[in-house]
Amino acid sequence: MKMLSGKNILITGCARGIGKSMLEVCAKHGANIWANARSPDNNFENYCSSISEEYKVTLVPVYFDLSNKEEIINVIKKIRASDMPINGLINNAGITYNSVFQMSSEMNLRENMEVNFIGPYILTQYIAKLMIRNGGGSIVSIASSAAIDGNAGRSAYGASKAALSTATKALSREVGISGIRSNTIAPGITETEMLSSMSTETINETAESTALKRCGLPHEIASVAAFLISDMSSYITGQTLRVDGGM
Amino acid sequence: MLNNKNIVVTGALQGIGRQTVTSLANLGANIWACAHIIDNNFLDYCAEIASANGTNIYPLEADFTSIDSVKEMSGKIFKSKLPIDGLVNVAGVTKDAIFQMTSSSDIRNIYDINVVSTLVLTQAICKRMQRAGSGSIVNISSISALDGVEGQLSYSSSKSALIGSTKTLARELGVNNIRVNCIAPGVIDTGMNVNVPKDILKARLDMTSLKRMGRSSEVADLIAFLMSDLSSYVTGQVIRIDGGMA
Repeated sequence: MKMLSGKNILITGCARGIGKSMLEVCAKHGANIWANARSPDNNFENYCSSISEEYKVTLVPVYFDLSNKEEIINVIKKIRASDMPINGLINNAGITYNSVFQMSSEMNLRENMEVNFIGPYILTQYIAKLMIRNGGGSIVSIASSAAIDGNAGRSAYGASKAALSTATKALSREVGISGIRSNTIAPGITETEMLSSMSTETINETAESTALKRCGLPHEIASVAAFLISDMSSYITGQTLRVDGGM
Repeated sequence: MLNNKNIVVTGALQGIGRQTVTSLANLGANIWACAHIIDNNFLDYCAEIASANGTNIYPLEADFTSIDSVKEMSGKIFKSKLPIDGLVNVAGVTKDAIFQMTSSSDIRNIYDINVVSTLVLTQAICKRMQRAGSGSIVNISSISALDGVEGQLSYSSSKSALIGSTKTLARELGVNNIRVNCIAPGVIDTGMNVNVPKDILKARLDMTSLKRMGRSSEVADLIAFLMSDLSSYVTGQVIRIDGGMA
């Protein structure tokens, strides 16, 4: 049996980067997926159909912006009405922001908190309610090593991810009794478009500082998320797993 | 998930070690099952697991109070000429006593088994992994090393030594593509809890989010994940598997 057979999961931010890889990795392991992107797009729909066909799983594209509660609620209604009882959520969607503390604008700070923390928080509130009704589930939030290490230039982004990680941990204590687990992944430097906000020099230096001397690949973050969604991690909850090549 | 991987598991006689052999073989791994006593019961068990999964299980005896015995055992592993993909250091003992009542010979005995022999074996095995250019090592520590548990000074401090070793080795061996991680189990349904008074056990389980004891198979599943390529970018970590205690 595949690791995620019988799992119906929602993954946010599947159009690019780590989320796109998560879609494929989770499908490969047998999960049916509601694949979220911000707005309808043909390329994305085609990608979803090809993955669905290749791995023989159900893949439903769902569109919402994490800063738009109405859009979130519409998708929740769709999930609730479907015949795929939800038992997994990967809070993957997020934005990045690099700026030294004194130069960080209020607008960017608010935007980071909105998309990286408040949006996933509200979404998780709704999903957790459905999971309780369905008799359990697993929630995985994607934070960042920047949330733990406090890197220069990452005060706003790091704080928004730290907020997400703390909420995920507190949630684990509240919903454990309902058979729901809740964990955080803190990726280190990972090869995605988000890296374009960093200088090549910084990227190389950071990669060199890891024990494995390289950047992580999207599928290496995705496979840890798949493990945390699966029943193989049934006694792991309230944890933050660094997937950072050893920083 | 672990097809064609060859993995050394110590402490295979009982508890988490034994379950690890079962679970890893179930996922396709060949295993050197190291135990301090090899009796007919253990040999039967190894044969049964091997035939049930179509993998090879090689029972090996080693006395972890003796470095010579550990070296002799690793020599037998090397004789097979098989590549070694993984090492799971489960072998460990505890002897609970409050600090003032802990004898130096007990401290020494626990450190010899839990730390010194474990590191001697790791040294031998990782040399092979370095030559092969890859590998995964998992050390079994304990939440008692992270949180402190009354009456477990020798045990918890010996398990803390494994955390420091894990982090240092991850740094030293990363360049050889060898990953080193550590697991800190909480309360698990093994014989190690039989001496814990019922009310204390209940209080500990109430502290968990999941309100229950963990199963050895759940720890073995985490070990399988860390042995597999699913965790290819995870190294130098201490992972709590405690049902949410902290």
